[in-house]
Amino acid sequence: MSFFRSKQMKLYSLVIPRESAWIVMDQLGRLGQLHMIDYDPSLPMMNRPFANYVKRCDESLFKLNGLDALLKQFKKKLIYCEDTQKLLDYFRDIQNSRQKPGHTLFDELEQEIEKKKYNIQEMSNNLQNLLDRVDSITEQKLVLEKAKEILGKSMFSQSTPHNVNDYQQLKFGQLIGVIDKEDETRFKRIMFRITKGNAWVNIVDLLPEKQHLQIKTSIDLNRASQPRCLYVVVYPGMNDQSTLKQKLLKVCDSFTKNRIEYPNSQETMDNKLKELSIQINEAQHLIQMTKKQLEVTLDELVKEKNGCNCSYFEQLRLYVLKEKYLYVNLNYLTMQGSIFTGNFWLPEGLETLVEDKLRNAMQNSIERFPTGQIQEIKPKQGELAPTYFNLNEVTMPFQEIVNTYGVPRYQEVNPGLFTVITFPFLFGVMFADIAHGFLLLLCGLYVIFWKQQLKKQTDSMFNAMIPFRYLLTLMGLFAFYNGLIYNDYLSISLNLFGSCYYPKNEEWEREQNCVYPFGIDPVWLASGSSLNFMNSYKMKLSVILGVTHMLFGILMKGVNTLYFRNYLDFFCEFIPQLLFMACTFGWMDFLIIMKWLTVYPNGKDPSIIETMINQVLKPMDEAVTPIFLNNASLQLSITQLLTIIAVVSIPWMLFPKPLILGSGHKQHKVQINDPQYQKLISEKQGSELEIDPQQFRKELQNAASNRSLESSEQEHDSGEIWVHQMIETIEFVLGGISNTASYLRLWALSLAHGQLAEVFYDMCIAGKLDMGGIVGGLMSGYFYIVFALLTFGVLMMMDVMECFLHALRLHWVEFQSKFYKADGYLFIGFSYNKMLSENNHN
Amino acid sequence: MDLCVFGVDDGYAEAIIRGLRASFLTEAQYQQMKNCASIPELKSFLEETDYQNCLQADNPQIPTSILRQRLKKKLADEFEYIEAQSTGTLTKYLFHLRCRFMIDNVVNMIEGLKNKIDIEILLSNIDPLGWFPEIKNIKVLEGDDYSSLYRDVLIDTPIGVYFMKFLEESIENLHENRTLNDIQNLFREMKPEYIRTSLKKMWLEDFYLFCEQELMPTSQEVLLELLKFEADFKTIQVIYNSIGNRDLNTAAKIITTRKQLCPTIGNLYPDCEKMYLQAMTLDTLREAVKGCDNYRDLLKDAPDPLKREEFNVQTKTLDDIMYDDECRRYALAFDGQGSYGVFYSYLKLKEQEIRNIIWLAEMISRKLAKNHPGWKKIIIPFSHLGK
Repeated sequence: MSFFRSKQMKLYSLVIPRESAWIVMDQLGRLGQLHMIDYDPSLPMMNRPFANYVKRCDESLFKLNGLDALLKQFKKKLIYCEDTQKLLDYFRDIQNSRQKPGHTLFDELEQEIEKKKYNIQEMSNNLQNLLDRVDSITEQKLVLEKAKEILGKSMFSQSTPHNVNDYQQLKFGQLIGVIDKEDETRFKRIMFRITKGNAWVNIVDLLPEKQHLQIKTSIDLNRASQPRCLYVVVYPGMNDQSTLKQKLLKVCDSFTKNRIEYPNSQETMDNKLKELSIQINEAQHLIQMTKKQLEVTLDELVKEKNGCNCSYFEQLRLYVLKEKYLYVNLNYLTMQGSIFTGNFWLPEGLETLVEDKLRNAMQNSIERFPTGQIQEIKPKQGELAPTYFNLNEVTMPFQEIVNTYGVPRYQEVNPGLFTVITFPFLFGVMFADIAHGFLLLLCGLYVIFWKQQLKKQTDSMFNAMIPFRYLLTLMGLFAFYNGLIYNDYLSISLNLFGSCYYPKNEEWEREQNCVYPFGIDPVWLASGSSLNFMNSYKMKLSVILGVTHMLFGILMKGVNTLYFRNYLDFFCEFIPQLLFMACTFGWMDFLIIMKWLTVYPNGKDPSIIETMINQVLKPMDEAVTPIFLNNASLQLSITQLLTIIAVVSIPWMLFPKPLILGSGHKQHKVQINDPQYQKLISEKQGSELEIDPQQFRKELQNAASNRSLESSEQEHDSGEIWVHQMIETIEFVLGGISNTASYLRLWALSLAHGQLAEVFYDMCIAGKLDMGGIVGGLMSGYFYIVFALLTFGVLMMMDVMECFLHALRLHWVEFQSKFYKADGYLFIGFSYNKMLSENNHN
Repeated sequence: MDLCVFGVDDGYAEAIIRGLRASFLTEAQYQQMKNCASIPELKSFLEETDYQNCLQADNPQIPTSILRQRLKKKLADEFEYIEAQSTGTLTKYLFHLRCRFMIDNVVNMIEGLKNKIDIEILLSNIDPLGWFPEIKNIKVLEGDDYSSLYRDVLIDTPIGVYFMKFLEESIENLHENRTLNDIQNLFREMKPEYIRTSLKKMWLEDFYLFCEQELMPTSQEVLLELLKFEADFKTIQVIYNSIGNRDLNTAAKIITTRKQLCPTIGNLYPDCEKMYLQAMTLDTLREAVKGCDNYRDLLKDAPDPLKREEFNVQTKTLDDIMYDDECRRYALAFDGQGSYGVFYSYLKLKEQEIRNIIWLAEMISRKLAKNHPGWKKIIIPFSHLGK
């Protein structure tokens, strides 16, 4: 249960006969504890045994997506499945009651989806056609009406025959139709060219009727229609056979199909208009009916069914998803004749559970096929197990913080465990303020206790905080605690326990033997040197915290090397690193505390920086103002000893490891060439079953810890090892200094926070309280609002973010670089439940 | 200098192209495609590649023509996106690229109308890259009256300029006292292929000029080289195809036609012009172009055009050889940064990829044996990099 290290994993091979593949995988999916390994990742999906099924699932999902889009258009609200476990149980019950092989249920559902999709598609197409028809009829009507306006009545009367030969030239033909608005200029131009300017072209915008628009928007199935125009071309000559008319007809038709025959008398015109109105009415009636029918069908999909608290549509979708997931995982296996084999990782201790599942897989089925078998196998050289932690809601966000940087290597010390406390604590040091911390704490507690209610309010800001509620609470708690230590309440000090100082002759006098019980004495804030005092205090505190944090990181490296039995790293990296750190900055911390504990006479305080610098620059001289009161020579000898240790540890880090590795490398080469040795290896592999578990575990871990080393070792020569080690050493030594300095951000951010709070308080509250009277009351009310808003916006939002990021950095860079490899990969359980809940609200 | 400021306007577009570069099918993928047994299998394979989205809605037994249309549509969509993201010179440049496809579309339409194919079918077959609104008005064409087609429709289109020049040139070539009848005869005898070649030649010259005048030096360096080379290939192709062509029966006619169709740019022009215009056999053509680059090597393997009747699927034609060489050159354009060459190359290479897929689809649908030499007849972009 601990998550100090990731869980022990074992590699198993799975063998399933072809007939029971589905059932076995189904059972394993419900168990949800297997990490399937792709047998041959280079094999394209297409060539895998169940590619066809995956494809069918995809097709069904594609159809369902289409339906989903339609449901959204009709504003149908789907009920999503909250409880996926319940749904899975329901699926199982159906399977059991069907008395048919399990995988055939999908076939049935597939057909059902196909049928539904087809039906609904048909109906919506019908509806669309009807709408289009109404569209075009309305357009026709509109065109005729407008054209009548434009052409006037004389167009009809001119057709009364006179002497054909005389009046031929005076007669005009006309073409009427609709084109897209964007074609307007092009149409005019081409008409001009063809008729050489001898035609009158009029183009008018068409505006669809309002009533029609209403239907359209309520069922918006299609893209928004483009604006259209009516064109009227009047050209000389009536004769149908004239080349001009033929050409014009051709051009008009090449633009659109919507050319309309203009009636040649007033009467036909009126009749036509009437006819069109009737058609519109009929079509609209039909539209209403189709719409109603479609809605009924869609409602059926939305309705809850079978007591799963979710829409039938969702049930279908999730079932298909589940099926696809199963087949995708089945595809990781490889087919050998009539059996499937594959490998998977399993957390230690679950073997019996899996075996039980396998044994009982066929219990509820009508058929009796042999079920699968599992067998533990030895991982190949360099094959690392996935990293698996049992997380809960408290630890999840912290592990997430660590994983964002890199997933822990299998079985390595997991920084996530320490992060649970150190992260909120370092945040608290920077965000130290009693009031602000308390607000943050309240916010966290609110999300914890009102979680259920908040979950329902999807648009609430607090909803997004639900996964991080414990993180928030802890951050608030530590900010509150550190605020108490710094004694900072919105930049005011609280006199909680009674100050140890009392005013005397314009000076502060300290009571004898009085110690302020907790935190900083409030008098310091009132004194003129408050900033100096607090800075020095916070600075020293952050260095002490930082060095402790880093030393802890180095210790974890030691723990790692011991656990993986990597003694080379233990002696040649861990020990010199620890010594270096302890002898330089550890010593500095010691001096700081020493100085705090000692009362120096005459106010002649020694400077720690000076002491540290002189330690290197004047290694032979005794300090003028020693920190060890009256014992400068002792201090000098300790200093000299520590300096020597620190200096020696640098080459210690650098040289031994590459030298040893280099010699091992040579031996290795020789061994490979030696035929006798190779035989020995194969013999060893043959007797692999006899190796006791302890030995096996050890080997596994050796393989794990040496993975990156070995691959580089085999490929590169010792030059690379040297360069690598050199970089590591330089990084550590320089990093020791710069990282320590980096922890000063604990002080800097807390200072910034305090100063901001002070400015807001001074500007908004402090000055305004003196103003008396009604005006003063109103003003202070107003300024209080300004103060509250500023505090919320700048301190509670921006500063929380800033402190969060800096705490993140301190963990990722300064702490984790000391020991953390972060090159593992996550355990991904083959679990229906997880997959379904992830896919629930997409 | 231009490398410093290239990114200001064109950096994003170039970045997109370089991202799209990853979508090219690899040799291994081609190998898998060759192993497909049927069209549905090929389709489902393509759905695992970058072509996934454009094929999903189709039914598995997709006809090759629709497949081609889908693939081209995808390319056109990508191109359109890049065009929309471009500004200034790049927009103009990309538009120039599209003109080539417009020419193809127009000529295809004319050809189709002449053969009395239904306009709807023709419209559904046009290359989406070369679409422009006037294309549907080509229907107006009556008989062989290209000049009125130009006057009524094409005059406003981007390729109107080329078309006009083409008409002028063709009419000028007639003897002095031409009559209207002569012109009509000329148009009637004109083959669409001829129109295509000469329009493309004009386009190429125009594009070359554009690159020379408006682009930055880095782009010029890449593009002019490619265009010169393309012009040379055109020239060689024209000469090659006119050798032994029955329609061109007199020497004078051959030479005028060649003169009209061969681009006046490139490495071969003008130094070798005299030589190649006179070349009447493959050997003399080889002799004519030997001074330049590796053209001699290219022609070495080309089959003799005089034995055209003996060609079959297995023959590695001049076109194949040239495509192969082209592909290598276009892929090189991706090696340089900050030039417009990548856009051109991308288009060309994607076209090649589509050609490959269609070719394989044809092979598969004809169920040819796996040892048929036709399977080897695809040219894989960037394949030379692996060697």
